[in-house]
Amino acid sequence: MVKPVVRIEDLSLEFISQAGAFEALKGISLDIGEGEIVGVVGESGSGKSVTAMNILQLLPRTKIRVPTGSINVLDHDVRAMSEKRLQQIRGGEVSMIFQEPMTALNPVLRVSDQINDVILRHKDVSALEAEEISLSLLEDTQIADPRRVYESYPHELSGGMRQRVMIAMAFSCSPKLIVADEPTTALDVTVQAQILRLLKERAEKTNTSVLLITHDLAVVAQLCNRVYVMYKGEFVEEGTTQDVIGNPQHVYTKALLNSLPEGKTPKSRLATVAAAMLEGGSNDKVIKSPVAATRIARSGDTVLEIKKGTVRYPKDYNFFGRPITFHTAVDHVSVDIKEGETLALVGESGCGKTSLANAVVGLNPLADGEIIYRGKNIKDHDPETRREIQIVFQDPQSSLDPRWPVWKIMTEPLTVGKSLDKAELRKRAGELCEMVGLEPDQIDRLPHEFSGGQRQRIAIGRALSVRPKLLVLDEPTSALDVSVQAQILNLLLDLQDEFGLTYLFISHDVAVVRHIADKVAVMYQSKVVEEGDTEQILSAPTHEYTRTLMNAVPSLEKAFAA
Amino acid sequence: MSSTAETAPAGPQAAGRWDSLIGPFVPVLHQLTRLAVLLFMVTTLLFFMLRLAGDPALVLAGNDATPEQLEAIRAQYGLDKPLIVQYFNYMGNLIQGDFGKSLASGERAMGKVLTMLPATLLIAGLAMAASICIAIPLGAWLGFKPERFDRRGVSGIIFVFQGVPGFVSALIFIQVFAVNLRWLPSLGMDYGNVKTWILPSASLAWFLMPSLTRVVAANTAEAMREDYIRTARAGGAPGYSLLWRHALPNALLGAAALIGTQFAFLVGGAVITETIFAWPGIGWLLIESTQTLDFPVVQALAFCIAILVFTVNAVTDLSFQYLDPRLRTKGN
Repeated sequence: MVKPVVRIEDLSLEFISQAGAFEALKGISLDIGEGEIVGVVGESGSGKSVTAMNILQLLPRTKIRVPTGSINVLDHDVRAMSEKRLQQIRGGEVSMIFQEPMTALNPVLRVSDQINDVILRHKDVSALEAEEISLSLLEDTQIADPRRVYESYPHELSGGMRQRVMIAMAFSCSPKLIVADEPTTALDVTVQAQILRLLKERAEKTNTSVLLITHDLAVVAQLCNRVYVMYKGEFVEEGTTQDVIGNPQHVYTKALLNSLPEGKTPKSRLATVAAAMLEGGSNDKVIKSPVAATRIARSGDTVLEIKKGTVRYPKDYNFFGRPITFHTAVDHVSVDIKEGETLALVGESGCGKTSLANAVVGLNPLADGEIIYRGKNIKDHDPETRREIQIVFQDPQSSLDPRWPVWKIMTEPLTVGKSLDKAELRKRAGELCEMVGLEPDQIDRLPHEFSGGQRQRIAIGRALSVRPKLLVLDEPTSALDVSVQAQILNLLLDLQDEFGLTYLFISHDVAVVRHIADKVAVMYQSKVVEEGDTEQILSAPTHEYTRTLMNAVPSLEKAFAA
Repeated sequence: MSSTAETAPAGPQAAGRWDSLIGPFVPVLHQLTRLAVLLFMVTTLLFFMLRLAGDPALVLAGNDATPEQLEAIRAQYGLDKPLIVQYFNYMGNLIQGDFGKSLASGERAMGKVLTMLPATLLIAGLAMAASICIAIPLGAWLGFKPERFDRRGVSGIIFVFQGVPGFVSALIFIQVFAVNLRWLPSLGMDYGNVKTWILPSASLAWFLMPSLTRVVAANTAEAMREDYIRTARAGGAPGYSLLWRHALPNALLGAAALIGTQFAFLVGGAVITETIFAWPGIGWLLIESTQTLDFPVVQALAFCIAILVFTVNAVTDLSFQYLDPRLRTKGN
């Protein structure tokens, strides 16, 4: 093997808090050679970000303890370095790219200041030369108008643009290693593809090593030479990407691959990691029969019909607070859903899919067009119609009231216009818990006592409380780990079987959509550009945007075909 | 104005001609409208509430005045007319810029207020400046590493200071610097003598500083946990750069709101401080004129304070746009 840029040996790490020590890393070892692109893949809490942060000693030294191990960067032990020496390494020999392009750049400093700072700190150049270097770096990241970006504040740039700025900054002092911690997780698929390609190109051109931290196996497959699979603070498997993904050895790696919807029979139950790892009491309950054949016979009636639905948001107001200019978020969109069917709305952020979802449940008024539910215009606020259409939001972290116990959250829709006694509500909450795979004795707990996946189960239970017929699911799995995503998808499919529910499923994830949806409508710039049967649209897209989207989707299959 | 209502429904994208003409000035017009409404409400409310407070003729004439004397005084000042007539007379004069004459001294009411105003603005400005000069560096230092032992100690002391009422610290200042040490005068004002400015300003600053320090410290500590600090650290930024260049400018966005509120409070006249130090500012005048039921002066004061508070708030809003690039409108 080539000379390692980074060598981590038998590294253990504990977080110390008043509650006691938490073992985040359990004796991990890792090598990255010159010019190598190495992936570390794992779920949230597995310790992958801790590994990344630790290479540059960015964790607060007072809050961690390192019982064993060493981290060598270019043959120097970073753990023995003074803060001053570390500051030379950081941004100089090793630099980082972070996940959240929205918050990772300082909002009150211009891009120019933020890049120049790094250059001036590590290189002996004048301010004028630094400006020249910055501009050429921005040009290298394929920014069309480097001067404008250079002079901008972060909020004036899109997520993808900011991530390009981060890349320019990371490459600014010709580092030996770039640690990229989930660099594309917050980005749209098409932008993700561009950013990954850019990162790879720049790394190869400058012979820079990359340590890519991600939860996405497909991204690893596309980018990395070697991969380490991380589970509960340990590397359970390592090897070339081809070997690990093509022929996984460890039970966790296998389970992780099996939990991905990609390449599985649509609507089949996905294997879950929890079940595979035999962590007693897996809450992935099968409600009824898991076999797709038992699905309730569909009447074929059209349940929901959106006719030229248009949503506008006011942009400027006149003196009397009357809106005078508008932004059109949904532009004359017409789609319909048949009973028991799942229609997926696919598109990137800002395309209007959430605005349309909100319009269906009556959270956004339509500026034009109409939405008809079983022959009734939802504008008429018929309480029965409103009850039959329920919504589940994307982020269960923020969509559940943190001060309410689960039973209250779940049964709140039942109390609209009715007064039911507490015992009855608690009983209903217990039933709902069982329905969505939670323990009925957990109804007195608060949302923060649950994991992300469990919180999403609470949100689904809440929506189910009033026995809806149509469920609007707005990115219900995108805030979750892949293995948890598998559980929620299983649950949604089970519920559809059991109750004959109709889904309007909003997503940006093509693999998930392929797995769960019968029909798909692709939204782009406020309009539906293409719709039809899922398989047909996704395998033979006709609109240019759909084609771009399909090409951009990272996939295991494609990565190995290449 | 009715043209707006007619053109708007024509097309959602098409703004009326009137709208596009005044578009850029809408924020200014909004502010001016708010000011006009504010002034109208303040003057009207105060006019009727003051009339409930007592009869100024009694105060003017003294305790042993005969009913005839009282009648004469009421006639002289127009106090014998029905209240609503008095109100319209007053508002009519006010629109022409006439706030009436002081019942006590016969001076023009607004003139009296305006001669007192500089004294208030002087100590308000000095106190604010002193408070800012101490609170920002101190708060930054505290917030940079709030878990350290020394910072926790200092935080505790500041917390105690925040609990001490303003008049207590003013009295302690007088005891120490005027009575015991005899360095500074305890009373009165002389524009030419800087020594007379110090105690009133210092005791005001003493009152403002703890809360501002605590806000700066809390905001700095919060900013230090932000992602961009991690980015800066990963780029090799040393500690002072993290604090002064990255964290503090963000922390000050929150502090600016408090500075604005505090200053708005001060320009209304620090009543207690001005009274303790016999400082002839508008706070002192407010006490004086209220005690003598000198309505025109109280009215003029309220009018003046309303404009000042409004201006300070408007300036605070503007300074936000200067401090926070996210609030600057496009094209600026």
